[in-house]
Parts: sequence; structure tokens; C-alpha cells
Amino acid sequence: MRRFLFRLLNLVRRDRAEQELARELTAHLNLLEDEFQRRGMPLEEARRAARVALGGVEQTKELQREARSFVWIDDARRDLAYGLRMIRRNPVFAVTASLSLAIGIGANTAIFTVANALLFRDPPGVVESGRLVDIGMSRGDGGLNPTSYPTYMDIRQRSTTLSGVYAHQMFPHAMSLDVSGAAAPAERVFGQYVTSNYFTVLGVAPFAGRFFDRTDSDRPGASPVIVLSHRFWKTRFGDDPSAIGRTIRLNARTFTIVGVAPDGFQGNGLVAPDVWIPLNMASDSAAIFEARGGGWLIVGGRLKPGTSIEQAADEVDALGRALEREYPTSTGGGVTGLRVLPSSRSPGNRNVIGGFVAVLMIIVGLVLAVACANVAGLLLARATSRQHEMAVRMAIGAGRARLVRQLVTETAILFALGGGAGLVLARVMTAVVVRMLPSLPFPVTVPLTLDARVILFTTTLSLVAALLFGLAPALRTASADVVTALKDDSHSSPGRSRLRSAFVIAQIACSLVLVVTAGLFVQALQRAGSTDPGFDPRGVELVSLDLSMGRYDDATARRFWRELILRVRQLPGVQSATLARVLPGGFEGIGVGGVTIPGAPRPDSEASFHYSWNIVEPGYFETLRIPVVAGRDFDAEDIAGRAAVAIVGEGAARRFWPGDRAIGKVISYGAAGRSRTVSIIGVVGDVKSSSLVDGLAGSFIYLPLQQYDDPRMTTSMTIAARSARGRSAADIRALVGSLDPNLAVVTSGTLEDATALGLVPQRLVASFSGTLGLVGLLLAAVGIYGVTAYAVARRSREIGIRLALGARAADVIGLVLREGLLLTAVGLAIGLALAAGANHVLVGFLFGLPAMHPPTFLGAAALFAAAGLAACYLPARRAMSIDPLRTLRRE
Amino acid sequence: MSGGAPRRVELLQGTLDLIVLRALDTMGPLHAYALAARLEQVADHPLNLNQGTLYPALVRLEQRNWIKGTWQKTQNNRDAKYYAITGRGRRMLGEQTERWRRLAGLVDKLLTSE
Repeated sequence: MRRFLFRLLNLVRRDRAEQELARELTAHLNLLEDEFQRRGMPLEEARRAARVALGGVEQTKELQREARSFVWIDDARRDLAYGLRMIRRNPVFAVTASLSLAIGIGANTAIFTVANALLFRDPPGVVESGRLVDIGMSRGDGGLNPTSYPTYMDIRQRSTTLSGVYAHQMFPHAMSLDVSGAAAPAERVFGQYVTSNYFTVLGVAPFAGRFFDRTDSDRPGASPVIVLSHRFWKTRFGDDPSAIGRTIRLNARTFTIVGVAPDGFQGNGLVAPDVWIPLNMASDSAAIFEARGGGWLIVGGRLKPGTSIEQAADEVDALGRALEREYPTSTGGGVTGLRVLPSSRSPGNRNVIGGFVAVLMIIVGLVLAVACANVAGLLLARATSRQHEMAVRMAIGAGRARLVRQLVTETAILFALGGGAGLVLARVMTAVVVRMLPSLPFPVTVPLTLDARVILFTTTLSLVAALLFGLAPALRTASADVVTALKDDSHSSPGRSRLRSAFVIAQIACSLVLVVTAGLFVQALQRAGSTDPGFDPRGVELVSLDLSMGRYDDATARRFWRELILRVRQLPGVQSATLARVLPGGFEGIGVGGVTIPGAPRPDSEASFHYSWNIVEPGYFETLRIPVVAGRDFDAEDIAGRAAVAIVGEGAARRFWPGDRAIGKVISYGAAGRSRTVSIIGVVGDVKSSSLVDGLAGSFIYLPLQQYDDPRMTTSMTIAARSARGRSAADIRALVGSLDPNLAVVTSGTLEDATALGLVPQRLVASFSGTLGLVGLLLAAVGIYGVTAYAVARRSREIGIRLALGARAADVIGLVLREGLLLTAVGLAIGLALAAGANHVLVGFLFGLPAMHPPTFLGAAALFAAAGLAACYLPARRAMSIDPLRTLRRE
Repeated sequence: MSGGAPRRVELLQGTLDLIVLRALDTMGPLHAYALAARLEQVADHPLNLNQGTLYPALVRLEQRNWIKGTWQKTQNNRDAKYYAITGRGRRMLGEQTERWRRLAGLVDKLLTSE
């Protein structure tokens, strides 16, 4: 019965050592009882006596437990103390090892921090972001296009798998803010239009006041309330709780502040608006809420509990097909391929971000491999010098496992030091990466927080690396044969130096991959820089404006733009100026509909040909120095009411009218039933800048601003001015303020900066892998040096004998160089093969990389060969200076 | 040590380990109870030894791989964990005995001379 009870107890306590102890004590008590009973005690008394003799079951257990854990703690403490002593005794080794680990771990932590912020981390304030989805029209590259308001409402009303469906405008709007109503110049803020259920679906609670709710009307323009971001409330209203209930003027319209969002909340995207405004305030007219064609909304939803994303995807897929049937494209429907994706910080771009982060992760992974191989090599080298110590310890009875543990502890100390320094280094590196990012036309915030996940990542990385790379050298060291090691410590097992050679080869190969990759990206950048982009960005300044900040209608807007550009041209120093809807660079091309060529078959294979639209004022081609190949530029007479005209790029002209003159031909654009026909008055050079980013050769079709009749397209324009000094932005700002104090400048900068935007990924990868590859090269050189120097030391007697027997200097040098150079050659061969593979993969990823670039490969190989030679040279010289007499006398 | 000499002998740190090893070396595998009985039996002075105080020593020795315990049946068909000395334990015993002898000799010499 008691045994049964014990067994039951043991089932509950799963600790094996505890079970074992309990069983043993029971057995002990039983034996004692037997003994006492044999002496004639009654059972009860025997039982009590047994307990007395044992000294109490629980006390015994406690004693044993203490002893059990004590051994481990004791050993660990002794290992730690011993390891620290070893490090103090050899600080150069410790510093070298932990520094290279710090670089490896730091780089990994930095990139993981970015990946964490972009891909894994819950956006601040958002509840269970894993249950959120993005909904949009499929874009071919795995991304999503925005949808229209009626489509959003259909999804919201018909969906049964989503508990809530919200929508917000794709990019925040630059708006003019007037707090006091005084005559101060307008401030620029960024506002985002969101549906009234936006905050509820994301699961965020207000920091103060309230969010939007059902009491806010859905009629266009009927709910003038706003919610402030915490940051904006703090900076602009100085934490004042009484800000809630106050009224402010945004884009010359009065709004009441109803609430403040919690600290850090910026929705589930990367864009951080200053204020949120109900979607129905986006326009006073119902038109934008009724049009099915054209997308301007990012739609998102939350999965109902128990629903999988596949179910939601199936449902939305079916819903999209139903909508396509109900509202065919010919009647302005415009829904194609509605689909659901897991929510992403940049809706619809998860693949692009994921791919880029993956490339960076692989690069830093290589760096870590180089660093670890370097440290493992150092550890092995040190193991050789400690062979004697290990043999002695083993001879006096230390177990092999005990020695391995000791050595792994020492390695773990190194990795802990490296990991700690790596965390610090990661902060520096992320700061550098953030500084390298260009300023975007809207406020993007990536909260790069060092959260628990990042710390866990770094810790795990350090520990796994320590075990992986520390165990092999430790096992090697501890496997030393006692007798040989004690007899003669100058010889060592060949296996150890083979392992060390493998580490050096791995180091060379990985570093070479990094350097080649960097070289390829530098090639891409150079190619980008040397390619004639088709325009001249130097000396052109940009100032963007948004007329929705003031009160303009179609006609007054056009008048204002014309007036403004005429005044800009009169500013001192300005040589030419124009207005454009978009400029070559990062985000170009607007869609105004497909092109039809009367009398010609519709260009069917559109995939192979991309054209973009732009809306410009006269002087665009002169300002950007785009050559006018045929015909003329727009002029002051191309205004509403006159003959509708357009200018096309050479590529488009060739495409539409192969082998024929383009001037005088007509094209139609726009949705069926509302299409416009324009005649071509000029042909201009193609702009190639976008091809640097995405490989899509851009041929533009240009329309004159004064003839364009969709005000939505022309409220936001950019002034481009070319001036000799290149410092006209301040003058233009002042001019805008004097023309309309309601208008705040949205962005300003140079065209050169705007053009560079698209090359940021390439530049980032090039500098990252280049720097780290060179560090790797340095470490590899140290590794080659170490192996060669060790070989010389090991063979000093042999070399001495050879010299004594009359070997020539060249023979000896050749002997020494052979080993080191063989390592270098093998490393180079492996590295080149890997780099070629990496090149192949990267070409498919980032546009602009050369498919195969022999000079880069050969140059990198030569660099490494030179480094290898240099690293072998010093030991070779030392071998030359070996005194045969001295080495032989040591016998 | 002078004055009212205590009749109990306090074991020096580490001595118990040595005694256990020695007992297992000479007597062969023993369970904890037999071990305790044996220690009580050989002691000239009664050792102040609750039988339970053996357990920390046993776990320490087993963790260092100097002894090894296996479950077996006693003559009376009771379960008991028998401990046997290992090769490493024997080597340790040799070393420790040597050390102990030298130390004891030294202490003895110091205490008896003048």
C-alpha cells in the first residue's frame, strides 16, 4: 500500500533524481525496520526507531538535494573563475576573439532588430496583429493595389469571416494646420483619413478622450472631429489634457479634437501620421465615395475567432469574382482579383520587404560564420599550447567530460563578452542604417526597439554559436593522448591542424563571398551613376504643394498654378521652372487609364512595355534637360478649350507607330465612356531613372496641366526649378506663403536626392557587405598567419635540419608558403563558387546587378591571394632565421 | 585538543568521502544501510553519524563518477541501491589515501614533537 502511494507520488513529481532518492530512502527504512524487528521490536516501534536512526526522511532529502546541486554550482563557479583567470592571463586573445564575435553578433542583432520591427513585432497598441489581414487587388508581384470605397463597403457588408473591416487612405495627407487662428503662417501636418471603426478593429484604446464612433456621421463632410497622435499632442499641445474639446483649423476647415491615441500608436503601418480624420471628411462631394473605378483605400480586417486566413481568403476571392460580375470593368467597375494577405507593416509589400531582409540576414549570417570560424581557429591554436596542461589535469584524474565542460565554459565567457559588446555595437549599427535612409515624402517611423525578442535572439545566437564552435576545439583538446602529450608537447595530432585549416578555409570563403557581393553592388551603383538617366538632376530643386490645404476648385486651382509658376520663373537666379505631377526617381508614374490608338490594334503584350503618365506645365523638358526629339514643348496657349494635346516619349512613339512619324497622330485614354482624345505635338527622350530601381524602362506620356480636367490629379503638384546657385527653395517657400498663407510646403529637396531614393537598397547592401567583408578578410589573414606560424614552430626542427644539410633559402620559403597558400587557394575556390551562386540568386532579386562580372570576381580573388601571401610571408621569414645549431641542440 | 575530550569524533571535511570509498573498495558493493552499519561497526569511537548524513556524500561521489549505484535485491528480497566503486574512484582513493597519510603524518609529527 505504501509502495503504491509512493509510486503515485512519484508519478506526480517528475524529477527523476527526486524519485530515485525517495525510492532509496524507502528501501533504507525498510531495511532498518527489518533489522529492528529482527531484534524483537514491535512493528510500530521498529518503524519509529528506523526513522530516528536515519535522522528524518525530509532532513535527509534536503541534505542530499543540497549536495546534489552543490556539485554543479561548485563546478560551474570553479569553471567560471578559472576561465576568467585564463582570459586575464591572455588578454590579447580574449580581446581579439570577443571583438570579432561582437562584430558578428552585433551585425546580426542590428539586422534582426530591423526585421523584427518590419515583420514580427506587434505594432505598438495593436492587439493580436497576427489576426489582422490586408485586402486589396492583386498586383502580379505578390503585392496589393488599393480599392475604391464602394468595394470596401461591399467587403465590409458581405464578409462573414471577418469580425471587422476598416479602411484608410494609402498615404497620409499633408495638411495645413492653424491652431490659434492668428495670422501666423500655416504649419504642415500629416493627416490620415480612416474609417470610424479603424481603431476598434485594431483593438487600440484611446490614451485620452475618445476615438471615432457611430455618433460621428457617415455623410461626406459631416463629422469634423480628429484624433491626435500622442507624439503630436505632446509636441504641439504640450501634454495639455484640455486640448480635447478644442477646435483647430485643418486645410481651412474647423475640426474638434476628440481624443489622443496611446503613445507609439501609428496604426499597423510604417507611416506615422500626426492626426487621424474620419474617412467621410476626405471630400465634401459624394463622387469619390460612389466611384467604383480607381483605388485609394487600403482595406484591412480582423479574422473572427476560430476562422483561418485561408477561409477568409476563399471568401474574399469569391466575393471579388461576384463583384467583377456585378460591376464589369466596361461600366467603370474596376475590381480585379480581390485577395487577402497576412497583415504587413507595408500592406501588399511583405514579399519585397521579406526578400530584402532575407538578403541582409544572409550577409550578416556569413559575417557571423567568419567571426565564429576565426574564434574557433584561435581556440584551437590555444588548445595546442594548453595540451600539456590538459594532459596533466587528465593524468591526475579529471574526467574528459569535466574538461570539455571547463573548456566550453571558457568559450561561453568569450561569447558572452562578444554578445554583450555586440548588443552595444548593434545600437550603433542600427543608428547608422537609419541615418542612411533617405527622407520620404511622408513621415515614416520604424520603431527599432531592443525588445525581449531581440535580446532572446542575440542570447540564443551567442549560446548556439558558442556550443557549435566551442565544442569542436574543446573535444579536440580534451581528447589529447596523455602519454604522448606529456612526453613531448611539440608534436600534436594532425587532425587538429586539419580542423584548424578547415576553419581558415571557411573564413576565407565566407569573407570572399561578402567582398564579391559588395563589389557587385558597387558595380550596380556605378552602372546606375554612369547610365544616362535621360535627364539632368543636378541643380534642380523641388518644392511640393497640396492645394487641398486651401479652398480651390478646378478653375481657381489651374489659375493658381499658372500664376505661381510665372512668379517662380521671375525669382532671382532661377533659369527655368515648371510644375509636374510626378518626377523621375522613387515613386513615379500615375495611372489615368489605358491607351487606345485609333486605327491600330490595342497594344496587347503590356507586360513587356510600361508607360507612365505625367501632368506638367510648359518648361518641364527644358528644366530637366530632357531632349525634345521632334515637335515642340507645351506652350502658354495649350489651355482648356483649345485643341487637346500630348507629348510622348520615344519608346512609346516607337511602340504605338512603329516606323512612322508620331507628330499629328491621336491617342485616346481613360475609362470607356469617359475617354479623351489628344493629338501628339512632340516626342521627347525617354527617362530611364526608374529602370535603375525596378528594371521597368519608363516611357512617359505627358499631358498639359492646363488641359487636364480631373481636379483630384492636380491638387498636389511639385515645383521643379533649375537655378545656377541651386538655392531657390527658400525663395519659393516665401513666395508660396505670400500667395496663399493657407498653403504649407509639403516637402522640399533636390532632385538628385529624390532620384537617389530608389538606389537605397543597393547602397545599403554594398556598404554593409563591403565593410564586413573587409573585416572578414582581415580576420582571415590573421587566421592564415596563425596556421602558418604554428606550422613553422612545429617544424622548426625539421627546417633546422634541412638548413644544416644545406637547403637553400628558396626551398625553405617554398616549404612554408606552400601550406598557407594551399589554404588560401582552397578557400578562394570555394568562395568563388559560392559567390557565383549568390550572384545568380541576387540577380533575380534586385535589379541592376551584373549577371556575371569577371573583374569583380578576379579582383576580389587577387585581393585575398595578396592578403594570404602577406600572412604567410612573416612566418616564412621567421623560418629563414631559424638557427640550425640552436634547434638541434634542444634535442 | 585538551580538556574534557569529547567522545564523539567530528569528521573532517572530505573524510567521509574517503571512508566510503575505502569501505566500498574493501567490502565490494554495499547499499546505504549496510554502509552505515559497516561504518558504525569499524569505528573505535562511535561516529556521530545519522545514517541519513551518508546521502550527501553518496550523491557527491556518484556525480563525480567515483562510485556507481544500481538497484538490486537483498537476501530478504528487499529493494536496495547497491553502490560500487569505479575505476576512477579507485584511482582517487589511492591518491587521496596517499595525501591523507602524508597530511596525517605531518600533523602527527607536529603534534608529537616538543
